[in-house]
Amino acid sequence: MLWYKSWLDTRWRFLVALGLLMMSAAGIVLTYPRVLALLPLVAANDSGGALGQRIREAAALARDFRSYIWSQWFHGNARQEWTIVAALLGTGGLVAQGSRGALFTLSMPVSRNRLLAVRAAAGLGEMLVLALTAGLLLPLLAPAVGERYALGDAIVHALCLFAAGAVFFSLAFLLSTSFEDPWRPLLIALSVAAVIAMCEMVFRGLQPYSVFTVMSGDMYFRTGRLPWPGITASLAVSAAMFYVATINLARRDF
Amino acid sequence: MADPIVVETAGLQKRYDTVEALRGLDLRVPAGSIFGFLGRNGAGKTTTIKILLGMVRQTGGCATVFGLAVDNPVASVEIRRRAAFVSDEKDLYDSMTVDEMIRFTAGFFPKWRADLEQRYLQKFELPGDRKVKALSRGMRTKLALLLSLSRGAELLVLDEPTAGLDPAMTEEVLQALVGHAAAEGLTIFFSSHQIAEVDQIADSIAIIDRGRTVVAGALDDLRENFRRVQLVFEGEVPTAAFHAPGVARVRRSGRVLTVLSTAGAELVLDRARALHPVSTDVVPVTLKEIFLESVTSED
Repeated sequence: MLWYKSWLDTRWRFLVALGLLMMSAAGIVLTYPRVLALLPLVAANDSGGALGQRIREAAALARDFRSYIWSQWFHGNARQEWTIVAALLGTGGLVAQGSRGALFTLSMPVSRNRLLAVRAAAGLGEMLVLALTAGLLLPLLAPAVGERYALGDAIVHALCLFAAGAVFFSLAFLLSTSFEDPWRPLLIALSVAAVIAMCEMVFRGLQPYSVFTVMSGDMYFRTGRLPWPGITASLAVSAAMFYVATINLARRDF
Repeated sequence: MADPIVVETAGLQKRYDTVEALRGLDLRVPAGSIFGFLGRNGAGKTTTIKILLGMVRQTGGCATVFGLAVDNPVASVEIRRRAAFVSDEKDLYDSMTVDEMIRFTAGFFPKWRADLEQRYLQKFELPGDRKVKALSRGMRTKLALLLSLSRGAELLVLDEPTAGLDPAMTEEVLQALVGHAAAEGLTIFFSSHQIAEVDQIADSIAIIDRGRTVVAGALDDLRENFRRVQLVFEGEVPTAAFHAPGVARVRRSGRVLTVLSTAGAELVLDRARALHPVSTDVVPVTLKEIFLESVTSED
């Protein structure tokens, strides 16, 4: 029954996230023919500087469907959207429930650790479904634009999204055991994400170690190897934050 | 043989930052009793209940329910398996319907009583398909009670069960509680600051004030032992002579001395005779008077 309750608590966030990610992924796939049509114009572009360089790189990646999907989706829109979705799903829970049922939940013959574990598992399960659904939409829709996208690529990138997203999920989850409203955990988690993204831009040397590099499946795209160190590190950080959340909740008075 | 004790606290303390909510609370709730837990707003009633159910951690003293330590997380789960709780806010899940709330709760209790669930659904006329958030306060209270009464609990813990209810609804709820306790033989521990309802259904009480127990015992014994002795003197009123064990309060108003005794009137009358009052009057004390005398400051 706790699973059902967790689903009721998060279902709207999950459904909105599902809609957002599917529309975004579908949009990227379905606009590919128009992007291809624009490529000759980019070739004629002779702007210099960093911007010109970026445009030429993007155009080069867009010539191949797999590269286009990676640059526009996994390395592009998905990173921002996925971070927001992960943080959003991590918020809420017992502390934020307040007078809308927290005491009722606590009066059930269930330990706080189990309450927390079910909520975390339900949230992570929803994230896995979201990542796989959005990922699998790519090979499903690719034939509509005359292209093919490998199922294996979709699954690997979905797993990278999931593992790195778990960091922001668990951060919001941890913060939700301290704050009684859902907004502060969300804002703090997103602020941390923004700071990481800025550090990644300013200190290029840090990029290989960034959670966003894991999220985009950069290593897999470039080398075909799974980013095990990044995935392991992301999951370890998440596990540590879940552990702190259990300590936090165990010490809390309601 | 005396009834076993279901709830026991000794020197229970709770401090919230700078506020001392409980300052050494002692309680003993006998099995099978309807135990009224009285106190003013902020006296520490809700904090005590939350400690008993593992929602708040004590900062000192000890507390047991069914002989299990409330601060042990494993024991606390067992306590909640055998006890039911209705909070003063009657907080339930707004997004669920009445039927969903019942199915959700039943899933946690192997001893769930489907017969009682049906009986109280009909008795309380609860609409199964209505969302909890659309229920009136009275209906919400009834649903919270149904969920508690049907789980086959040995102990019902109710925090201000009739708060915010009209008199008719209050009566209906109290009657349901008394009827259920009589039929099922369970212990009811309920907090309130409504003296009349405690007087109506409780057989044992504890009155707490500023985090301490000031009066406790069987209601019949308290009614038997509490006496107000009013003495009128001609001259100076000798208050000091009456401060003794068994004397709860001594008040002076002009030439009139009022002594509240917790151990009958004989002790006070013995002392008074030596001081030659011009008149002596002994009156029984109501629960309301016991409460007011216990929680108001001495002159």
